Amino acid sequence: MSTKREIIQPKNANLNVSKNFSLPHSPGVRAGGFIFLSGMVSIDPATGERAMGTVASETRQILSNMAHMLESAGSAMNKVVKVNVLLYDMLEWDNMNRVYREFFPTDPPARTTCGVQLAGGLKVEIECIALA
Amino acid sequence: MNREIIPAPAVGLDFRKLYGHQQSIAIRANDLIFVSGMVAVAPETGERLHGSVTSEAHRIFQNLKLILESAGSSLAQIVQVHAFIYDRIEYDVLNRVYEKYLVHQPPARTVWSVKIESGFKVQLDAIAIAQ
Repeated sequence: MSTKREIIQPKNANLNVSKNFSLPHSPGVRAGGFIFLSGMVSIDPATGERAMGTVASETRQILSNMAHMLESAGSAMNKVVKVNVLLYDMLEWDNMNRVYREFFPTDPPARTTCGVQLAGGLKVEIECIALA
Repeated sequence: MNREIIPAPAVGLDFRKLYGHQQSIAIRANDLIFVSGMVAVAPETGERLHGSVTSEAHRIFQNLKLILESAGSSLAQIVQVHAFIYDRIEYDVLNRVYEKYLVHQPPARTVWSVKIESGFKVQLDAIAIAQ
């Protein structure tokens, strides 16, 4: 048995954060019928720079970029099965959740949200597993 | 569909037996292997090897290698990693070790800065392709 392992790249090269910031991971990997995305932070798709803002604005930017990433790999937001959301402060949970629900209006994926330390002054990081 | 427990490849990695953790070291399901969060322990004895982010990360990768290879997979077959570190300030320290083990086409990854059990500084879990 051999399952293929393919690296996923966003069509918009500005969103290839691991490459642009020289980080030792790939944007995503397709394997075993799934797509595994690395944690995404708020990046301006026009410039590739970090777009720091509120929890609401960062969540919107990340999920919009995530849709692009999944679509670049032939998947889509409605194929997401599991999401992990990392927040700089759990007090802001509802601010994330209000934007989040716009992107997953029906039958939302399984999700875990954690309050953690994030880098670079960012407030939100989101990763997911989706059907390929 | 099948779901198969991967037995610990060394006595020191049997966290269920040694430390009472109610978990398996790894599970194979269809084409994927899901490995539990791994910390720096000696595979021969299970002794906790607390150290620096660097020393713990090296030990963990060696342990992951043992586990994945015992299941017919390898580090190169990893598709996703969750890297837990005790303090974000050590992010680059982790990366220096990390990129020695996952060089070519590295897996998807998210780094979580959180509190880790038993005073460890690093914990890694992984999903890999079963070969």
